[in-house]
Amino acid sequence: MRTVPFALKLGAFLTIGFIAIAVFAPLVAPSGPLEQNLYEGLNGPDANHFLGQDRLGRDILSRIIYGSRVSLLVGFVTVSISFVIGTLLGAVAGYIGGRVDSFVMRLCDVFFAFPGILLAISVMAILGPSLTNVIVALSIMGWTSFARLARGQVLSLREREYVTAAESLGAGTPRIVFFHLLPNIMAPIIVEATFGIASAIVAEAGLSFLGLGVQAPTPSWGAMLSEGRQFLLIAPHLTIFPGLALMLVVMGVNFLGDGLRDALDPKRNISQRTV
Amino acid sequence: MKAFILNRLLSVIPVALGVVTLVFLIIHLTPGDPVEIMLGETAQAADKEELRRELGLDRPILEQYFSFLGKLAHGDLGNSLYTKRSVTESIKERYSATAQLALSSMFLAIIIAVPLGVIAAARKDTAIDNGAMAVSLIGVSIPSFCIGPLLILVFGIELQWFPVSGRGGLDSLVLPSVTLGTAMAAILSRLARSSVIEALNEDFITTARAKGVKERVILFRHALSNALIPVVTVAGLQLGALLAGAIITETIFAWPGIGRLTIQAINARDYPLTQGCVLTIALSYVLVNLVVDVLYTVIDPRVRQK
Amino acid sequence: MTKWRKLAVFILLALISACHRAEEVPPNTFVIGVETGPAMLDPRLATDAASSKAFDLLFNGLVKRKEDFSILPDLAESWEIKDKLKYVFHLRKNVKFHDGSSFTSADVKAVYDFVLNPANKSPHRGTFKVIESIETPDDHTVIFNLKEKNAPFLGSLTFAIVKKGTETATEHPIGTGPFKLVKYKRDEQLVFVKHKDYFEGVPNLDGVIFKIVPDETVRTLELERGAVHTIMNPITPDLLPRFRKNENLKVVTQLGTNYSYLGFNMEDALTGDKNVREAIALAIDRKSIIEHILKGLAQPATGPISPASRFYEGDVKTYKRNLEKAKKILDEAGYKDPDGDGPQKRFTLRYSTSQNELRKRIAEVFQWQLSEAGIGIDIRSYEWGTFYADIKKGNFQMYSLTWVGIADPDIFKYIFHSSSMPPGGANRGRYRNLEIDKLTEMGAVTFGGERRDVYSKAQKILANDLPYVSLWYSVNVAVMNKRITGFTLAPDENLKSLKNVTIK
Repeated sequence: MRTVPFALKLGAFLTIGFIAIAVFAPLVAPSGPLEQNLYEGLNGPDANHFLGQDRLGRDILSRIIYGSRVSLLVGFVTVSISFVIGTLLGAVAGYIGGRVDSFVMRLCDVFFAFPGILLAISVMAILGPSLTNVIVALSIMGWTSFARLARGQVLSLREREYVTAAESLGAGTPRIVFFHLLPNIMAPIIVEATFGIASAIVAEAGLSFLGLGVQAPTPSWGAMLSEGRQFLLIAPHLTIFPGLALMLVVMGVNFLGDGLRDALDPKRNISQRTV
Repeated sequence: MKAFILNRLLSVIPVALGVVTLVFLIIHLTPGDPVEIMLGETAQAADKEELRRELGLDRPILEQYFSFLGKLAHGDLGNSLYTKRSVTESIKERYSATAQLALSSMFLAIIIAVPLGVIAAARKDTAIDNGAMAVSLIGVSIPSFCIGPLLILVFGIELQWFPVSGRGGLDSLVLPSVTLGTAMAAILSRLARSSVIEALNEDFITTARAKGVKERVILFRHALSNALIPVVTVAGLQLGALLAGAIITETIFAWPGIGRLTIQAINARDYPLTQGCVLTIALSYVLVNLVVDVLYTVIDPRVRQK
Repeated sequence: MTKWRKLAVFILLALISACHRAEEVPPNTFVIGVETGPAMLDPRLATDAASSKAFDLLFNGLVKRKEDFSILPDLAESWEIKDKLKYVFHLRKNVKFHDGSSFTSADVKAVYDFVLNPANKSPHRGTFKVIESIETPDDHTVIFNLKEKNAPFLGSLTFAIVKKGTETATEHPIGTGPFKLVKYKRDEQLVFVKHKDYFEGVPNLDGVIFKIVPDETVRTLELERGAVHTIMNPITPDLLPRFRKNENLKVVTQLGTNYSYLGFNMEDALTGDKNVREAIALAIDRKSIIEHILKGLAQPATGPISPASRFYEGDVKTYKRNLEKAKKILDEAGYKDPDGDGPQKRFTLRYSTSQNELRKRIAEVFQWQLSEAGIGIDIRSYEWGTFYADIKKGNFQMYSLTWVGIADPDIFKYIFHSSSMPPGGANRGRYRNLEIDKLTEMGAVTFGGERRDVYSKAQKILANDLPYVSLWYSVNVAVMNKRITGFTLAPDENLKSLKNVTIK
């Protein structure tokens, strides 16, 4: 019997901590995220502003705290949508094979080859720039990697004994996919998902950089990172602190993901061993 | 196998057609007028109309679409609206820069990530494992527009080991490759680790151990080859993405790749050049995926390609 | 495993073979770090700013403009104007093109014929549509006959002269300028060498390189380590103190002509109301933005024409921050603030801007400043193509943009005349004022000192009517290595002074 590993505890602590910060932002933040003070632009960390001030003299700590609302939402929602759509399509395609497989995979190719920037530009131009549309644009691009990953895994599993056994017992496609395949292909997909959250948050930075992200002055980590880029040489704290926040969230989610995978792994409990 | 490869090569056609159609639709739906951007504000309204007529932009969208497909069928991608140069030429001179950067980043990522992942898996839950995975997390969560300038500061300015920017000799390839490679190595090493851990629990490993096969052989031959499928899948996805051009890294290192070309084309609503770029990206993506699917069967003979 | 090893070796070999040798910068060559390269090298067709910088090195026009925008001879030695309809130019005699051939009147005619031929679709055709015919009585005389009197015509002849017979959209332009083009590797660099037969004397430099480095931080670093000799606008103002501290670098500034403004939709119920525009002009604080965000790299503006021009009229209505007055105007016009200084606004305006970081930042400051007068601002930043399309369509309430390189006051007709609404012109706010229509039409056919009076009147009316709220003229800035001498910044950012540059 083993205790809950430190990494899992840390992961849960960080993830839940950041979600709490996002939810209770107005209570936690030392000042409003929009309060400007041009005279103090780019000031470094001091007693009044623990993490310094941005170009317009706004408190960086408060902006990170409020920004977590947008960034976590973008990260988690985008990945959840991509994860569900991608994994299901990929697993079904890999299992059924043939025409269905070809169709889904070619669809993946089409979406993957489609330039994300053009998609983002058109979504924002046609539907208008907003948080929802940022998530829409990122999800449209995001599902393909999950689909390919799930399909690759299923291809290697579908000839295994337990699948063929289930087939011979007359289990239908949905049953096999949901009960026999999906639980066994989760390990790499969860890794991809945890990294996907980071990529989605960073991608929002890329969109902000193109003027396509969440609209100013709403703070988001992505927008903060992309603003800081201009001041990298003279005021690195504009980039370091939101970057650090992003890193902590990614780390938390990853450790949590590892723990989840262990818990989900059907073989896990039988064969615990040290190497 | 041959039939499979041939079949897959033919699948380039529907994919290319799909991408081209989608891009055609979306770029025409998106506001922004290439004629305005080409002629600028000071041009005569009548000249703009005339140019629009000549480019066929005044005709119904379906007609424009089919005339575009007709030219495409003859391998004619047309000329860039903005620079007036041949689209094929413009892409050709960029593609080698992009391919070079993509392959070297991939190479770097794999030689770092796979051994790191395997070792971390073998030493699961030890300091080595935690350390390696923490490093990989840092790698993935720092955006490339931060890593890039950082590398330039350290290795280009302070140590002066490598050029700061531009495409020159092999040395100019190092910093951009490291920038792209670290982010990829991060996720690949974690994937390798989790898949090897998974594989180590399989029955055939237990059997091999029982037979007294050396641990190193078990790890790097038996476990790794079973863990490679997700690694190869994601590496393929990443290589595909790299061949589409890494816009931010290309911008930072002044690398003349296809990513910058594509974004310039989109910004100028340069329809022919955009289509050309997207088509090239689609082709390389289909090819990369073909290689990935072939690798599946090499890695794991149980995977049959139907 | 050997197959993997083979694959690895193969990839390595492929990478090495794909590399080309690093290129050394030749001696006595001036390297400029630029953000983007020219879209085109054919001056008859190009319109982008990066191209015009390259053309400053490669070409001459018949005439050129001095820093105060007065007109000087260039390829033309002298000229006579008869009845304001016939322009006779006497050309310099010993001018050579880069390929060694002699420059003659036929080259001049060829350029203008090309531009005027509708089949070539030159974006510059409109500028020269006033030309009725061009005669070349001998190799060194060119006569332009005009359809009607046109005051801005002479100034437009700064247009670059490319050798006769140059193919459309050429990649190998041949001009008469101080430097000739050797090579253009797109998104990498442009290489120029000196033109030994340049008619104003051989340049001191052996060559010039435009090194294309799109990222500003990297451009800065390349400058600091000496791989690039100079960088120019755009430079993030906050970087200046860092450059000033560097003992190898010097910072040069010069008041420029770029004019930033807030544009309004005159057909909108709110922004069409002059009270609203005036309140905005009084509620924004240009001074603190210039001081803190732009670090002094700007000067408050009074209108589109900058003080560098002799057409500048400084005696117009100006607006300094006065919150009380702004609030009073709005109260009296019936836009009451529902909760005084509370969070609720009198009304909210959509403020469109492009994705440029500095512009977005300035929009955020305006939003904050205007909120103090009870005016709400909803910032909408768009990718450039979308933004520009919206502005042309009149799909905005207010927006912020910059006019670049205004040399002649004829621009007023183009941006404020009621017949200049897009697509025929740039009256994007749909401004209608009969008096402005009359004045701008008159200005185009009035010459000498009277022309100034006409535009002075127009500037006064516009400053009062506020179709634009003037923000500032930018100060051009260049940071360069101290080894460079002889470089002067021009108000319109041209690079003509490169021929006088030396590297110590």
